[in-house]
Amino acid sequence: MIKYLIIPLSDNAVSFCHYNARKGSSATIETETLRKALIWAMKENLSVQFLYPSEGVGKNIELIINTIDHTDIVPADCRDNNRLKGADIVVFNTWDGIETFGFRPDQSYIIRTTTEILINHRDGIQALLKKVNRLNIVVTDVPNFNPELHNGYQEFLESLIPTIVEEYSSGHMVQLNLLTDRIMLTGMNNCNAGNESLTLAPDGNFYTCPAFYFDGFPAVGTTEQGPDIKNPQLYRLSHAPICRICDAYQCKRCVWHNQQLTFEVNTPGKQQCVMAHIERNASRKLLEALRKAMPGFMSETIIQEIKYLDPFDNIKI
Amino acid sequence: MDSIIKDLDTTWQDGESKNITFIVTKDCQLACKYCYLVGKNEKERMTWEVAKAAVDYILAHEEDFQEPSVVWDFIGGEPFLEIDLIDRICDYIKTETFRLNHHWFDSYRFSFSTNGINYDSEKVQRFITKNHSHISVGITIDGTKRKHDLNRIWKGDGPEKGSYDAVVKNIPLWLSQFPEGSTKVTISSADIPYIRESVLHLYSLGIKEVNINVVFEDVWNDGDDKLFEEQLTLLADDIIEHGLYKNYACSFFSEAIGKPLDAQLDNQNWCGAGKMLSIDAAGNFYPCTRFAGYSLRNKRPIIIGNITDGIDSNKLRPFLTLDRTTQSPQKCIDCEIASGCAWCQGENYDAAKTDTIFQRSTAICKMHYARVRANNYYWNKLFRKEELEANKPTQSVNPI
Repeated sequence: MIKYLIIPLSDNAVSFCHYNARKGSSATIETETLRKALIWAMKENLSVQFLYPSEGVGKNIELIINTIDHTDIVPADCRDNNRLKGADIVVFNTWDGIETFGFRPDQSYIIRTTTEILINHRDGIQALLKKVNRLNIVVTDVPNFNPELHNGYQEFLESLIPTIVEEYSSGHMVQLNLLTDRIMLTGMNNCNAGNESLTLAPDGNFYTCPAFYFDGFPAVGTTEQGPDIKNPQLYRLSHAPICRICDAYQCKRCVWHNQQLTFEVNTPGKQQCVMAHIERNASRKLLEALRKAMPGFMSETIIQEIKYLDPFDNIKI
Repeated sequence: MDSIIKDLDTTWQDGESKNITFIVTKDCQLACKYCYLVGKNEKERMTWEVAKAAVDYILAHEEDFQEPSVVWDFIGGEPFLEIDLIDRICDYIKTETFRLNHHWFDSYRFSFSTNGINYDSEKVQRFITKNHSHISVGITIDGTKRKHDLNRIWKGDGPEKGSYDAVVKNIPLWLSQFPEGSTKVTISSADIPYIRESVLHLYSLGIKEVNINVVFEDVWNDGDDKLFEEQLTLLADDIIEHGLYKNYACSFFSEAIGKPLDAQLDNQNWCGAGKMLSIDAAGNFYPCTRFAGYSLRNKRPIIIGNITDGIDSNKLRPFLTLDRTTQSPQKCIDCEIASGCAWCQGENYDAAKTDTIFQRSTAICKMHYARVRANNYYWNKLFRKEELEANKPTQSVNPI
């Protein structure tokens, strides 16, 4: 059942996920389209998330946005200071300016980066974990996650464990999606695009997620006729043979990556599975470290030791 | 049932062999009306360079092809149009597997599905003689002349002309070389009235095994299922009353079909797409020939690699994790007569609402129901006959 509606307000609206926004276009959503979509969202009881471009949006759009309760996702380089201050989630597409940014406890932060650059910013992430309550790291080159990067990624994640333990021990329960989410979750908590979330693109049509719009996939409905996702069962966990037996609960299970890598929205490529399992295994080590520092910490939670990095190896027929 | 009833032969090294298909040409002498190959043409012929590169890639990646045996399959169009190329490929495979001490060196078959038209040509016969102990050949003949000629017509403009006479003349030669040779019969809507006479005709030609199936495409008209059931019932009567079941087999009748399937225990995929490998003239790899462009009406091809870059294992993951229930609608999962209801992954993909192999086409549903009813009749009647014959009083034997 669809619960969330994501609305990139323009073609250059900030990406908060794996995809890149469309280069060279700043086409903005039409006000009438937006108005209709928000009325529809209210009737469907959807939570709405707006994605803003760096230059902000015009007054007309602002007025319509404020007719509905919503979440603002704003780029860190947004030139509209009020918009940035009011953001619920701030997105960094570059490491420039991170050190001097005025982080606040009531905002969540997303850093979009390639794996190699991330690995090289270990100190920066460690410092950031002391400043924020919630940090999501989104790797933008998952399809390039080759075996040469596996050890580096694992070492990077494990290098963050002492910092997180230190923060928890001092009462600062910082959340880092790659490490702490798996500890907190009791079941798959994935992106769920096409199943729980839908996107209204600047062209006025519905798409499975922003990535499908920016990557040129066909729309799955119009604001006139409403969304119509064909084969909707394939977006559900029950119809994903690899994912439904997996316990890397923090995995994004990105259906766009699935489509890119395997041609099927319900089947992840090896890169996504291995990356998620390296995170899962590092989370297991984090849990052990937290229990050493704080005996009895989340005593009900068990993350089993496993010998594989790709659940496909366990089920291929 | 005991061995008095002839079983269908299983495929050579069934389940133990890798099937590798060379699409050597997309040309054919015929233009069969039911042919799923919508993109046949005379231009796309495999070159020796592409074929060699494919063999080299496959043999160099022995770790990815660990099946104990291999079936090197050659299809078209009509494969024997490219007999020179095929001969060269087969020679190369034999010498290379020997040179590399490859585990397939002495565990291989060369397999052909042919329309049979140039089966008696000198080149084809020379090839067969050279490789006889490692060859499987199936000639497609659809039954009686009127049934065969209804669909299997010569290519070209002008009035339709059936190919029966050009094929049937080669059946004796073929059966003399492959006495257990089987044929493949395809049933479309227009063929239904001729099923009974066609199967009996093929038996009369000496073909002991008739593998027959209805097309998976959505071509069925109202009433086809009734007519189909009627034909199969009449065929059942003939087979049983004349004792043909002792020496001949027809794949329409099987004890295993028409039973419910357990969602967990009987969850395997029907189709082998993804476990096979198909190569076309451009050097592209496919999970099965049905995913090549010339086989698809509505969808783009699914290319899983090529002879230069190799196989992209990510593209195989959907095929290798696909199970029955994930792709089936609820009515199929709950179906009381599900066993034996087949599907073609390529047709599923081609007919699906989205670009997925995970949506099962149910176009043959009512035909399966009809088949199961006739099949039940066949086995009930046959069992009863065997039972009555077993209980016949025999002549008393004087113990002294």
